[in-house]
Amino acid sequence: MNVDPVDMDALSELFNVGLHRAAASLSELTGQRIGVDMPRLWVCKASEIEERMLSLLRGELATVHQIFSGAVAGDAVLLIEPDKAAALARFMTSGEAAIGGRLDQSAREVLVEIGNVVLGACLSSFGDMLHVPVTFSVPRIHVDSLAGVLAALRTETEEVQYAVIAATRFGLSTMEVDGYLIVAVGAKSLARIFSAMSGKA
Amino acid sequence: MSEVSALSNMALNALLRDVGDMLEVGVVSVDTHGTIIGWNRWLESVSGHRAADVLGRSLPDLFPSMGPAAIAALDRAVAGATVVLSHGFHRFFLPLQSPIDHGPYEFMQQNTRLLPIVDANGNSVGATAIIQDVTERVHREAELRLAIERAEAANRAKSAFLASMSHELRTPIGAVAGYTDLLRDGIFGEVTPAQVVHLERIKRVSAHLLHIVEEILTFARVEAGREEVRITETDAGTVAIEASAVIQPMLEKKGLHFDICVPETAVIMHTDAVKVRQIMINLLGNAVKFSSKGTIRLDVRVDEPGTQVAFIVSDEGPGIDEENLERIFEPFTQVESTLSRTHEGTGLGLPVSRQLARLMGGDLVAESVKGKGSTFTVLLPIVSSPYAGGTISGEHLLVGESSS
Repeated sequence: MNVDPVDMDALSELFNVGLHRAAASLSELTGQRIGVDMPRLWVCKASEIEERMLSLLRGELATVHQIFSGAVAGDAVLLIEPDKAAALARFMTSGEAAIGGRLDQSAREVLVEIGNVVLGACLSSFGDMLHVPVTFSVPRIHVDSLAGVLAALRTETEEVQYAVIAATRFGLSTMEVDGYLIVAVGAKSLARIFSAMSGKA
Repeated sequence: MSEVSALSNMALNALLRDVGDMLEVGVVSVDTHGTIIGWNRWLESVSGHRAADVLGRSLPDLFPSMGPAAIAALDRAVAGATVVLSHGFHRFFLPLQSPIDHGPYEFMQQNTRLLPIVDANGNSVGATAIIQDVTERVHREAELRLAIERAEAANRAKSAFLASMSHELRTPIGAVAGYTDLLRDGIFGEVTPAQVVHLERIKRVSAHLLHIVEEILTFARVEAGREEVRITETDAGTVAIEASAVIQPMLEKKGLHFDICVPETAVIMHTDAVKVRQIMINLLGNAVKFSSKGTIRLDVRVDEPGTQVAFIVSDEGPGIDEENLERIFEPFTQVESTLSRTHEGTGLGLPVSRQLARLMGGDLVAESVKGKGSTFTVLLPIVSSPYAGGTISGEHLLVGESSS
């Protein structure tokens, strides 16, 4: 899908602001410095998500999925490789979760909380820009293949047609964790986002 | 609002209250001012506060020790956000008494979901917190974590013990062997022929003891995951010939024939040559130990695609029953008690050899026919080989043959 480079830059900045908000929240909550890289961004058709994601990561994934609704509606997913997700949960709990490097129940709960913070911060950026409230469902965690994750994407109001994919890296004091976000939306929602960015909203 | 819809709302509220009372989780709702407007039966039972007593109050008023993070989470939910508090990260929502007396927890460990209550226009008019008690599970996980930490500490102690024993056991055995040599060579004065015989016996026994110690230490290192594979370029045929030279005196002593067949040209393997030699010596030593007659063979072959090297040691000894064939790879096992008595050893040679072969990405397998003899095949991966084309070739070399 061809997107105007200016719109792409604006979209990147929107995600960047959201991710920095998320990193700041996580830093405040843990008392540990957490950094985040400027995200790389792709906008593609829903049918192209799998191909694009497969160029970034493979195998089983730990995912936190939230459905959002309002003027902009869709699915938001945070994807992290399971061993990195376990390490992240271990870091956030000072070693209490993810015993033996496993993504145990406590680690999954911690990951849900992290996912909620990250997805909430990013998608609130859309809401702030559009000056409309965006509400979220309760986040759910799945450990599944990419195909399994993508099969679950479907907005409540309109079928997913496009996706914004963001790849970033969280910098913790002990390691770096690659995180990927898929924001899957219908055509109307994507049009509203681009319209708002170009000041037409 | 019409009367009908007002009645419907009342019915809906009653239904939600009944459903909330049936749940095994806590459900508390507040309005935009933070005033409690819902308090389910589960919360009544775990907090000791009846709904009638809490409705109209605020949560910080009811729980003065409620944490600032929990209050901030509630405020965010009232403002329209969906908030998650996991017990491990953001900690508990309400300071409720722990349901278990034992354990380190003063308060109930909770996972909480806070959801905004949204009206028909999409405006947030309050929030609901759903609280799940996970204290029992967290307690079990903490016990498991403690057990893992203890096991890791024990493993570290075991590794330190092995490192220490490796030195402490080898050093005195080396001293015994060294001083025996000096005595036998007459460095400390003339020795009689009878004394030489006894000194030779001490030398043999100390060498045997050193072998046993090495076997036990290797087994322990592999079991502890501390045995390392040191990859070097090595020729498969050379390793086989070197191992054969070590067992030559044993062959001669027992009057056994020995044939070795190695490839005509070098088969360069990227593997741990020391370990391959150790396996070969173990297998050839066993073949000699359990054979009283016949021929022992060592064949070195490259498989058809040129990816593996097979070292095949065969003998014409007593053989092993099929049902016992896998047992010989169990530690501290020698199949027949009569053999155990007549053939000394730790019973670790074959388990260690298989462990080492597997450590190098290969395997050790056995075939045997009772009364006819046994064949042990070590399969090891080859990284580069002049046999990449897939030919198997060999030159028949007679390294040692003694009269029987």
